[in-house]
Amino acid sequence: MMLSIKNLHASIGEKEILKGINLEVKAGEVHAIMGPNGSGKSTLASVLAGRADYEVTSGTVEFQGKDLLDLAPEERAAEGLFLAFQYPIEIPGVSTTNFMKSAVNEIRKYRGEEPLDAVQFLKMFKEKMSYVNIDQSLLSRALNEGFSGGEKKRNEIFQMAVLEPKLAILDETDSGLDIDALRIVAEGVNKLKSPDNATIVVTHYQRLLDYIIPDFVHVLYKGKIVKSGGKELALELEERGYDWIISALGE
Amino acid sequence: MLYTELTSSAQKEALERFKAKGFPTNKWEEWKYASLKSWNEREVEWTPTALNEASEASLQTQNGNTTFSGILPAGVEFLPFDQFLATNPAMATKWEQRFPILDQNSLYDLNAALVANTHVLWVKAGVSVDDAISHDFILSVKKASAIQSRLIVFLEADASLTLIERAYTLPGSEEVLSNFVQEIYVSEKANLTYVKEQDLAQNTTHIDHTFITQLSDSQVDLFTFSLNAAYLRNNLHFYSDGERVMSNLNGLYVPGEDQLMDSHTVVDHRKPNSESHELYKGVLMGNATGVFNGKIFVRPDAQKTNAFQSCKNVLASTRATMNTKPQLEIWADDVKCSHGTTTGQLNEDALFYLRSRGISLANARTLLLLAFVQEVIDRVTHEETKLRLTDKIISKIQTSLAI
Repeated sequence: MMLSIKNLHASIGEKEILKGINLEVKAGEVHAIMGPNGSGKSTLASVLAGRADYEVTSGTVEFQGKDLLDLAPEERAAEGLFLAFQYPIEIPGVSTTNFMKSAVNEIRKYRGEEPLDAVQFLKMFKEKMSYVNIDQSLLSRALNEGFSGGEKKRNEIFQMAVLEPKLAILDETDSGLDIDALRIVAEGVNKLKSPDNATIVVTHYQRLLDYIIPDFVHVLYKGKIVKSGGKELALELEERGYDWIISALGE
Repeated sequence: MLYTELTSSAQKEALERFKAKGFPTNKWEEWKYASLKSWNEREVEWTPTALNEASEASLQTQNGNTTFSGILPAGVEFLPFDQFLATNPAMATKWEQRFPILDQNSLYDLNAALVANTHVLWVKAGVSVDDAISHDFILSVKKASAIQSRLIVFLEADASLTLIERAYTLPGSEEVLSNFVQEIYVSEKANLTYVKEQDLAQNTTHIDHTFITQLSDSQVDLFTFSLNAAYLRNNLHFYSDGERVMSNLNGLYVPGEDQLMDSHTVVDHRKPNSESHELYKGVLMGNATGVFNGKIFVRPDAQKTNAFQSCKNVLASTRATMNTKPQLEIWADDVKCSHGTTTGQLNEDALFYLRSRGISLANARTLLLLAFVQEVIDRVTHEETKLRLTDKIISKIQTSLAI
């Protein structure tokens, strides 16, 4: 088992957002987490990546046999977890290539590997840039400063390609994308897919799942997974919305 | 107090003025956060021993004694200041009319009374000095001492000069109070770039007074990089005394544990159609204290003045404090003036973003702090100095954050 979430509860301040999540993800699988706004989808993504704003009040998360909740965000990254942000932040004065070099070599150090040199970086970046059709000039600019929505998301997938995570969590990666950008981003994700890694796609809409085909679809509602199914569940949600699931819960 | 035997009556008078006031205490508004009160009772050596440290710099100030070694560039002279005034009566007249603002500055008097050596670096009309002149300002004493240093820089019309100052204390020195006065005269159409690197020992108290008078169509780009010292006070004054004057003040201070860095700037617009741009940034670490006090005067004659001031600070520790006080006194009605100060912490979202990519908290903080200070460093055009400063600042930030 790559990821095993058991009875996960998490709060922000006094407010409990996640109220007992159970989820298991194996290598090679793609899971989609869907649900109406405010159901806790992004909170789940943030808690897994280790954002300090959320407090885990109970439950466990095991990632490749390790207690994920015990690890700092950078250790989670080094263990092979990656979060593609819904709203990638702008960082003035820090370029993507610059901080990704630090990131890659810190992770390599964590894993006991030799650091890459400038030539090796250049070669690797070039290859990964082609995955999402991103330009060198964009990567040399201050991170996300003045980037379009599509450029920001392509940059996220570029970083994912560079870090080659075991588990990638895509948080609303489709938001703010036109159809062309969506296709480029999805193709990038698909190229990175392998039997050894897994993907969790967090999304409100079905359309991203036309390009990234999930093996499992889960519906998150009020902090719990209330329904799980195959890829056909996403199509049903697209057609019928979430109300029929909510009313089936007796609410 | 024991003082060396004073020779001139001017020195005696200056000493009387200093004695009447003493060292500034926190009761003096301008020294509220940077009191030197304890020095009023301190037993110190007032005539520091001569120092003969090897240095590559052509201009050197060693324990207050300023010399020029090597060959002077064509059109540049270095000579005792009284000799310069005696042989250049026209310049002596100009000099007397510069009117520095000296309120709450007893240390200027102390310097005038006790300084042993006042030389002038004189760049003659139309002379453009191609290579930067480096100035090593070196302190090293065997007994706790107060050291007075003074340097005059005189640029005649159309002259151009780059000065790179490095102030440092030699390892093993005892405690020093260093009181350094510089008066700089930038004539019509002259151009001065001046980079100050203040990297002194933890037992050094350094007070830098840099007073710059600028005449019409001149430009000065001044940089103050405050890296280390227990106490660093910069009194930086610009007297914009001509039209179409451009004054650029750039400051970066990175105080760490048990360090105080205080920047007091004055930009005095006395004539119309001039500009001043002030950019100060600070990273405060450990229990550091920072002070920024920026005064801008726009005198009644100084119509069409553009004066801008910005001071941004990051508190990289919960124990650090920053005190900012912009002061604008505007007497003319057709001017553009703006000022802004911010003091905050590092952006948590940015830190999380970098950590989520595998960068440790310490490195993520360093990365963000460097990005923050880069704006000031990037304005230095002297490449070698820029690289050296970048390295020093990275290492200072990394060391201070590791504590």
